Amino acid sequence: MTEKNTPLLDELEKGKWPSFVTEIKRAAVKSEAAGELLQVLERSYKERRGHWKHGGIVGVRGYGGGVIGRYVDEPQTYPNVAEFHTVRLLQPSGWFYNTKTLRTVCDIWEKYGSGLTNMHGSTGDIILLGCKTEHIQPIFDEFSEAGFDLGGSGSCLRTPNCCVGPGRCEHACYDTLEACYNITNEFMDELHRPMWPYKSKIKFSGCANDCTSSIARSDCSVIGTWRDTLRIDQEAVKEYAAKMNIKAAVCDKCPTSCLTFNAETQELSVVGEDCTRCMHCINVMPKAIQPGKEKGATILIGGKSTIVQSAFMSWVIVPFMKMEAEDDFAEFKDLMRRIWEWWDEHGKSRERIGETIYRLGMTKFLNGIEVAPVPQMVFRPRANPYVFWNQDDLDRSGTALDGSKL
Amino acid sequence: MVFKMARGPADPEIKAKVLEYLGKVQKAKSRDVAVAIGASKSDVDNAVKELTAEDLVEYLYITTTFICLKGKVQTPD
Repeated sequence: MTEKNTPLLDELEKGKWPSFVTEIKRAAVKSEAAGELLQVLERSYKERRGHWKHGGIVGVRGYGGGVIGRYVDEPQTYPNVAEFHTVRLLQPSGWFYNTKTLRTVCDIWEKYGSGLTNMHGSTGDIILLGCKTEHIQPIFDEFSEAGFDLGGSGSCLRTPNCCVGPGRCEHACYDTLEACYNITNEFMDELHRPMWPYKSKIKFSGCANDCTSSIARSDCSVIGTWRDTLRIDQEAVKEYAAKMNIKAAVCDKCPTSCLTFNAETQELSVVGEDCTRCMHCINVMPKAIQPGKEKGATILIGGKSTIVQSAFMSWVIVPFMKMEAEDDFAEFKDLMRRIWEWWDEHGKSRERIGETIYRLGMTKFLNGIEVAPVPQMVFRPRANPYVFWNQDDLDRSGTALDGSKL
Repeated sequence: MVFKMARGPADPEIKAKVLEYLGKVQKAKSRDVAVAIGASKSDVDNAVKELTAEDLVEYLYITTTFICLKGKVQTPD
């Protein structure tokens, strides 16, 4: 029945890709809510406006986040989705499950909710779509019994997220899975009880490939890096040279031109201090080039999507921090507390930390969190509008305001 | 400068002041509560944490998160 009434949605089933419409139609066979969801969505496409209201009070006792209130604006027309709340569950680091756990999630959700899931949304959480207000507490109680907890929503720490890291990836420069797990457990209050001007996100990527897109999608990006030099296996370089043009594919695409391939000796060399750890050469020649041995992470701040201001990429505030032992995590946690304290004091309502820094200046922010400016924060003096240099600094650096040499 | 968020049991006096203030307003951000009752933000956050667990206060999301007395604010149209 729904297929006949959803000509616009039906278009989204065409092509070779999986379709969320097909999946909702499958759910609609046994869920009236899923069927009405299709009707609401079709109508929204036709009228080009949404029919959902968002927010209000929906939650479980003692928690301020984890459930997002959704209400349809014509409950009399769509009674089965009159209340269609979203539940976020904290995901395991790296999204590793066994089948028993996945069955448990689905069984509880089919018992109380629409049966629709989003594994995993842009937040990283297990997202369960569509339940009634009366079922929220029982859902939480059963998931708690099964070992799950709610994720973040509202003006709190959102569920921290990480790449698969050393669980499956040779490029990981630190254990993203352990860092995410350890640091999430530390900040449970911040996750469950919204207390800030707006949301705050932490994402952990094991290397500069940044598989969590942390630099654009998190207030704090923790990106794996190394502080010594690339390790090059010259025998493996020779094997690559036999099947590819290393100069064209690797050296010419190096953003800082720090790699040189000697065609005569078939050897690759690097000027370590010029390398920006972009990962391009490693991605192209993974058997020949590895990150250095002294690994850790770069901490960046301020990434976000558009709301008060336009979208921001995050800025470097700590070029290198070890992320191996509990002491290293303690250093990161202390830094985060200082950052949130400053933002909580100075941020306006609905202002992400990047926007507060944009409004008040990086200098005030760095002073507030007691972090000294370092050269890695900028490309060159005046290249970054948030770090201001005195004339004496510029004279000493030999660089003019436009970046040219004096 | 002390950066750590308050831990441990909340101050009963601050909890009472939070409840009294929330009785006078429809909803508030916890920072506004802290300013109004002359307490530190972290102490208010800690008090609110206990008050929500005691079912006396609840969180309300209207474009950002507010706090209010339990049952005082209905879901907006």
